[in-house]
Amino acid sequence: MSCGVLDEEEFSRCCQLLLHHSDSVGDGWSWEAVQSSDEGYLKKTVLRSVPADQSITQKHKESGSDSEQFDYCRFKTEEQGVNGSADSLRPDVEDEDDCVCRAPGGSSCSSVLQFEYHVLYSCSYRTPVLYFRASTLEGRSLTLEDVWNSVHPNYRLGLQSRPLDAITQQEHPFLGQAFFFLHPCRTEEFMKPLLQMTWDQNRPVNYVLSWLSVVGPMVGLDVSLDYVTLQQPTV
Amino acid sequence: TWGGFYVVGAYKMSDSAESPTETQKEEIHPPPDDSATNDDKKKIDVLLKAVGDTPIMKTKKWAVDKGRTVQSLAQFISRFLKLDATEQLFIYVNQSFAPSPDQEVGVLFDCFGSDGKLVLHYCKSQAWG
Repeated sequence: MSCGVLDEEEFSRCCQLLLHHSDSVGDGWSWEAVQSSDEGYLKKTVLRSVPADQSITQKHKESGSDSEQFDYCRFKTEEQGVNGSADSLRPDVEDEDDCVCRAPGGSSCSSVLQFEYHVLYSCSYRTPVLYFRASTLEGRSLTLEDVWNSVHPNYRLGLQSRPLDAITQQEHPFLGQAFFFLHPCRTEEFMKPLLQMTWDQNRPVNYVLSWLSVVGPMVGLDVSLDYVTLQQPTV
Repeated sequence: TWGGFYVVGAYKMSDSAESPTETQKEEIHPPPDDSATNDDKKKIDVLLKAVGDTPIMKTKKWAVDKGRTVQSLAQFISRFLKLDATEQLFIYVNQSFAPSPDQEVGVLFDCFGSDGKLVLHYCKSQAWG
């Protein structure tokens, strides 16, 4: 790893380390190999409940307690195994009532969405790239506007101020289907000082994990602290 | 160009930060909250370290409420450094990992604190152009 980018072999290695931890805690990531080669990408599916009437309002408050900002809850699909502690629940995040699935027709959790996140390697940018798509449980794909309505309020303003640059629709390089993706043009720039710092300190770092921790929360993808707190082998 | 993700620069900056004084360690005070409990008043020591070309804060040591979020702290630092709206600020723990903006610094302290303090690295990035 140097200069803020990484080659594909390093990408794969970082992904395998991430997978190793994910497997051990049931975080739900899987590796999708491409044509039985070493190429592939990470994939994770998450169910999220989004209030139907969630509007694009700035919910940020300046006080120390920000728990009231979270008015949607998340839970995992069955495929990922049942391990409640693996979810990166933070004690402050949800009012416990909001985590309980209300009966259909309830006023708050009125729509459940399925988010699928893919981490691919971009040969042209030499960085990971985050692709994602979302649909209702009935299979209706979300539009870009729908996606924005489900993005955490903290990020919406920034993303929407540069919509064409941040989240765009892109054909998935392997699946040939329409996905949204976070444009990777800024990745090298924000990864470079981070990597330099770790190099200076002789500190091993997982590029993909670090990158994911930065970009994931923008689009509702949690990356649990325990990826770092539990001792991990490094690249 | 890319709009970036930390909306720190895009929001009206918090007015809750006190002006720095010449003392060694400062406190970050939230606005008055009449529901504050004893727990809310617990603070942890945070040491802020700049990464890359990011300006170094004149005051590096801060006593921060445990319940303060990363996002809130990032906004505070941005305001302190007078970053403009086109600059995004990132915060890292363990020198390599960006905690969720809603993560409480108290939790980070429990996980990564040593010698009685939590070291956080911060880095700005040009979001536009």
